Amino acid sequence: MKQTNEADGWRNEAERTAGTHIEPGRSYGFFTDTTLCIGCKACEVACKEWNQLPAEAAALTGMSYDNTGALSATTWRHVAFVEQMAGDGERPDGMPPLQSRWLMMSDVCKHCDPAPCLEACPTGAIFRTEFDTVVVQQDICNGCGYCVPACPFGVVAVDELDGKAHKCTLCYDRLKGGMEPACSKVCPTESIQFGEVDELQERARDRVAALHGRGVADAYLYGAPDTPGATGGINQLNAFFLLLDRPETYNLPMAPSRPAERIAPAFGTGLAVFAGLALAAAGLLTSGAGRHR
Amino acid sequence: MTLVQHRQQPLPESAAADRPYRGESYYGMPPLKPSPWDWTVSGYIFLAGLSGAAQALAYIGQRIDRAAYSGVRRTARAMATAGSAAGAVLLIIDLRTPRRWYNMLRIFRPTSPMSFGSYILTAFGGFSALTLLGEFVDGRGRLGRAAEAAAEKAQAGAAVTGAAASTYTAALLSATSTPYWAAAPRHLGVLFASSAVASGAAALSLGERLAGRTHTSRRLDSVAALATVVQVVTAFDARRRLAHAGMPERLEQQPAGRTLKVSEFVLAGAVPLVAYALNRRRGGGSAGLSVAGSVSLLAGAWLFRHSLLKIGMESAKDPQAQFAFAQPRRRLAASPEKPRRLP
Repeated sequence: MKQTNEADGWRNEAERTAGTHIEPGRSYGFFTDTTLCIGCKACEVACKEWNQLPAEAAALTGMSYDNTGALSATTWRHVAFVEQMAGDGERPDGMPPLQSRWLMMSDVCKHCDPAPCLEACPTGAIFRTEFDTVVVQQDICNGCGYCVPACPFGVVAVDELDGKAHKCTLCYDRLKGGMEPACSKVCPTESIQFGEVDELQERARDRVAALHGRGVADAYLYGAPDTPGATGGINQLNAFFLLLDRPETYNLPMAPSRPAERIAPAFGTGLAVFAGLALAAAGLLTSGAGRHR
Repeated sequence: MTLVQHRQQPLPESAAADRPYRGESYYGMPPLKPSPWDWTVSGYIFLAGLSGAAQALAYIGQRIDRAAYSGVRRTARAMATAGSAAGAVLLIIDLRTPRRWYNMLRIFRPTSPMSFGSYILTAFGGFSALTLLGEFVDGRGRLGRAAEAAAEKAQAGAAVTGAAASTYTAALLSATSTPYWAAAPRHLGVLFASSAVASGAAALSLGERLAGRTHTSRRLDSVAALATVVQVVTAFDARRRLAHAGMPERLEQQPAGRTLKVSEFVLAGAVPLVAYALNRRRGGGSAGLSVAGSVSLLAGAWLFRHSLLKIGMESAKDPQAQFAFAQPRRRLAASPEKPRRLP
């Protein structure tokens, strides 16, 4: 099955670059190991180039080296920079030289399982691909924008210029051609790893164990089964992370939840109260009815 | 298979992930993206509630006393047909690619209130149009009798789909990740149902009052008053629930928070209650008090929807609101973990 012949060589480039054979029917995703991220932003650039995404207004945000700010309709990888120093807002003089902690994390669409944006999409524009990734079909989307508040991570966004929702496609077109996504291919430190999800989860668990063995007691997985990020009806994130501080530090929720689980409580209670008020109204409208006639 | 093996050895505890939340955020950046909704959506939610409740009340009236409530029925039928048509137009205007509006009926998705809501609105609009048709035939001849019978049947359909149209919108807001809406789904359900019944009754009462039918208008005022009491009590309790979910106080102090309070407790609360009560004391004969109460209630009901949209959008941009809401103890209490599907 994994045999690579001459003709198949270019078709399954990912075998050489990521050690993964890409074929439909399997689950693919990202394991983003933030302990390896050096904040080079090559992933942001590669994503923009491959997906032909326009640049956004360039300005200095003052948030460390992060001048991107957040994921958007035209930014599908975002490197967060968190500088942690001694004290609150103090100069880092109190710490030993070069010992301030600098957390860097390349954020991306989590390709949730199940995916709240997909469950919210009324047109079927958002669908789950044969690679178990979540993609917005641009020729179907009518820009209702319901996926935007549905996303528990603030990833998907509607572009006001073309009136459609956009987010990371996990390079659907590249996967179809047997190539790994642009961001993971370009990552120089293997902070972004592409592969089959269960294989990546195995690798990530080993990595956490190894880090703890080396005394990095803060390391944990975010979005693997039974970890923060995979909560409230969300089984797992196909793009998951190894983090070193609380999720909120990286702008991620500790316990996201599946919005669809709130339909029954809201709609059910509403209908019950409506029915109750209708019964009461029947009583109120009856009292003295006909007297006038 | 490998996954199962690995699960037998639990991951080591992380010192960072296990300590309690102390208000961390990423430079105070918004953790979520707010829904891109404006007055068109709040207008639609208001119209759907108003028309849906009006058709349900008209059906009830028809069952109680056909003749006495024939005016109510006519108003409700016209209002609901116009309301659902206008609502659909508002929803299409709200789309960022309006020419693809028909894609809303391309699939049916029970996990999306936006999807099943489109079908509820379509059914409600269809039933309402049929009921209105009944008002234009005189019941003579085979065709006339058939049209009247169809309108009669459609009235029941309009009542049921009207109940759905006026309450599914609570799920539309709650079934998002926007913390202000997601933290209190049941309260939102009660608020939308009671506010819909109150505004439906108030609008019908207004119609009856303007047509000089005091006796029906007076009873509709009582229905509006009862629904208003339910709405006000729930609005109080919703604030307690939201505070418990960690919603920061500053949201309530923003313009949207203040208009929300004014609409819930004054415009669609105290004013109509006092007006209806005073009118009742005078034997229900004061058209001025009844009309004032109903107009204030209708204005308040729309402003309530609009401010609720706005305050929700503010909460999505507020790291404290989102991160306090998305803490494990609350989620675990609210929805127990389901058995996982193995990959």
